[in-house]
Amino acid sequence: MKNKMLKQLTEIVGKKNVSADKIDLLHYAYDATQSTYLPDFVVFPENTEQISHLLELCTEYRMPVVPRGAGTGFSGGSLPISGGVCLSMEKMNRILEIDTENLTACVEAGVINYDLQQEAERLGLFYPPDPSSYKYCTVGGNVAENAGGPRAVKYGVTKNYVLGMELVFPTGEIVISGSKNMKDVAGYNLKDLMIGSEGTLAVITKLFLKLIPLPPYRSVLQAIFSDMREAARTVSSIIANRIIPSALEFIDGPCIRAVEDYLHIGLPEEAQAMLIIECDGRKESVEAELSLIEEVCKKNNAQYVKMAKDKEEEEFLWRARRSISPSLNRIRDGKLNEDVVVPRASLPEMIESTQRISKKYNLPIVNFGHAGDGNIHTNIMFKKKSEEEKRARDAMREIFETVIRMGGSISGEHGIGITKQDFLEKQLGKESIEIFRKIKRALDPNNILNPHKMKL
Amino acid sequence: MIDKKWETCVKCGLCRSVCPVFREEKKEQYVARGHITLVEEFLKGNIDFSSKKAKEYLGKCLLCTACVEACPNKAETDLAMIFARIKNTQEYGIPFYKRILSLVMKNRKTMDLSAKTVNLLHNILFVQHLETPRESISPRIGSKLIERKRLLLPVVGETFLERYPSHIEGKNGRIAVFPGCGVNYAYREIGDAFIRICKKLNIEVLIPKEQACCGGPLYFSGLIDTPVKLAKKNIDLFNALDVDFVVVIDPTCASTMKFEYERLFSYIEDGEYLEKAKRFSGLVISSEKYLHDHTPLKELLRKTEIKERTVTYHDPCHLGRAQKVKQEPRALLSAISGVKFVEMKDADTCCGNAGSFSVDFRETSLKIGLKKAESIMETDADTVATGCCGCIMQVAEALHIKGRDDIKVKHTLEIIDEALK
Repeated sequence: MKNKMLKQLTEIVGKKNVSADKIDLLHYAYDATQSTYLPDFVVFPENTEQISHLLELCTEYRMPVVPRGAGTGFSGGSLPISGGVCLSMEKMNRILEIDTENLTACVEAGVINYDLQQEAERLGLFYPPDPSSYKYCTVGGNVAENAGGPRAVKYGVTKNYVLGMELVFPTGEIVISGSKNMKDVAGYNLKDLMIGSEGTLAVITKLFLKLIPLPPYRSVLQAIFSDMREAARTVSSIIANRIIPSALEFIDGPCIRAVEDYLHIGLPEEAQAMLIIECDGRKESVEAELSLIEEVCKKNNAQYVKMAKDKEEEEFLWRARRSISPSLNRIRDGKLNEDVVVPRASLPEMIESTQRISKKYNLPIVNFGHAGDGNIHTNIMFKKKSEEEKRARDAMREIFETVIRMGGSISGEHGIGITKQDFLEKQLGKESIEIFRKIKRALDPNNILNPHKMKL
Repeated sequence: MIDKKWETCVKCGLCRSVCPVFREEKKEQYVARGHITLVEEFLKGNIDFSSKKAKEYLGKCLLCTACVEACPNKAETDLAMIFARIKNTQEYGIPFYKRILSLVMKNRKTMDLSAKTVNLLHNILFVQHLETPRESISPRIGSKLIERKRLLLPVVGETFLERYPSHIEGKNGRIAVFPGCGVNYAYREIGDAFIRICKKLNIEVLIPKEQACCGGPLYFSGLIDTPVKLAKKNIDLFNALDVDFVVVIDPTCASTMKFEYERLFSYIEDGEYLEKAKRFSGLVISSEKYLHDHTPLKELLRKTEIKERTVTYHDPCHLGRAQKVKQEPRALLSAISGVKFVEMKDADTCCGNAGSFSVDFRETSLKIGLKKAESIMETDADTVATGCCGCIMQVAEALHIKGRDDIKVKHTLEIIDEALK
């Protein structure tokens, strides 16, 4: 059967765009979770029609199909856990249009987030969603996971920029939901159902995105604290002072040291916490906001507050921030990388809880992330293949329970995938999960699209 | 034993944003994260390198180390690739043309003889090009390895090592010179420039005639025996000299001798030569860094002048990333009055030559080269300076294809030499 299917897949996408060789499959078996599941085929469609034919074929064979952008997700969304076809969107990477009159973009799903940002900026426009992997992740993947990023505190997450999309359903139908219009209420809002659906309902092939004018000025400030709680309080206090920076990032002591070890940029290694705060807009308002923020930092006992001198220093700070997640390997080789979110005012309490849990389970727990929107990356560090693994899982369970108790969510931007699916029901309740299943059955009756994710 | 310094990879995918080959191929098989997976799966026994595909994945990496530099965990993909290439070569041998190369490079006499033969047959076998961004030759008849139109470096009749005495007197410091094969056999004028600069600075120069090829090209292809012999020869020869530094003009040779020799002797577990290689590593320095850090050249250059020109600079991977010599050539060039220095975009991105990569994967190599040419053209420079023979050849051809024969490709040392005249 495999040979027959390979022949049919080849007919659809062409010989060079399909492989069933183990050596190729191994390259499409992993993502940033570092788990490995071998697909049976990997295909590289070049257009929507090919994807439609491919899905029809897979429906016929009841063969799982797992869409994949760049394989940079942290929740296993693109892992082919029950084999099947790895549908790589790498070749559908064209920016089809940047409409400078309507301020919209139309892109294929495999476009790299950064490429879109660059192209928009060149025309004086701005596409704000900026996950830390923005230089290599795809916009399609961002939409499927509803990714956030540092700028979400002011500009919102990916969903706030999706006006419409072209979709292919598991039974082959090609559907356009939404449009270039700023408003559009014709019919069910399918596109919003697709955002964050993690590739379980349809394959996203094309996107209509909203762009905004590029802010003329931005400036970055760095504040260092000798007490982590004071940094957390500063975050809540900035928001309570009615200032919304364009980014408000929290980095704890161990993260500072891991990054410093990698980049050697002179971050103060004795610091217990650091905030990176960026404001954008007109120069005068940016300067006024930042000086107010500086005051708030000082009131909360910041050891020192420093403005980035120039673009280069700003870029360095951001590079440091974006490098945290991968450089944590320097603390322990294993990590449970969570992205819990709590109501913003509860942030100090959340940080304190992780400290308590860290002590209780005797494992390093490091925190960093988009504190401004209450979204913190809590990383439980452990030694792989040791008894620490089980303890780490127990600590994670306790963190999730704490977050849910505080009215937070187990995932702010990474998605559920396989890594968090066991906790989904706890947060949402049985009824929600049952509704999910009904939706899934209606749109994907044979459960071929990214099966066994989100408990579906 | 080999310290598997690629195992720190956490599969984040960041390398996808910096790899020049991935930028062209857009497939996971052609990026560090994929390469490391390939090697891991080989070590687990899940795959071997017998298939044509496997050999392609193994070969299609420039070893430019852009990924290693960008990696938050410093996963050494280049080491993984070299290791796997060694395993592949031991099991399945190497392509015929590399076997011939390895025989030629084994000793100085066969190399000299081959070069002389090519030089004598220049007019029969090749067309000469003087108008191109750099003087070049191209074969009259194309072959599977080298297509007809490809611009290559010309081969000289009298080599660098033949031209100069083994000892040039001087009072300011004492160095030994290792030109590298590219300078010795092809772009000798770069070596000539270096010698004139040393004379001007009154530096005592030793030019040991018995120096062997560094072995780099063979080692990067996965050969081990010949590189070990060559390495031992060079280490013994230079370690015995009483010099301040061994100044290496070609950066690939420099980084091979400075860094790869240690990896080589660790790999074959030769503790004695590992120690000797470490000492040798301390002596090896690139010509640009030597002149910048250990001579008064920069001050001297401030007093010189050349005909007004706009110069941009391309970082050779083995000079910039490997040896971390980035600021020195820029500082020297900028010191010359008359030179307007402009940075190009992605100056430190590989030019795509990477030695036999440009033979085995000509199409991809050229695509990468053309991107480099575009970056150069965007600066409006009339001269591009760089520090490596492979880069010079590649950049010159890329500019030629773009129809920009008016932009000249020079070695940093040549521009300095011109200013001192």
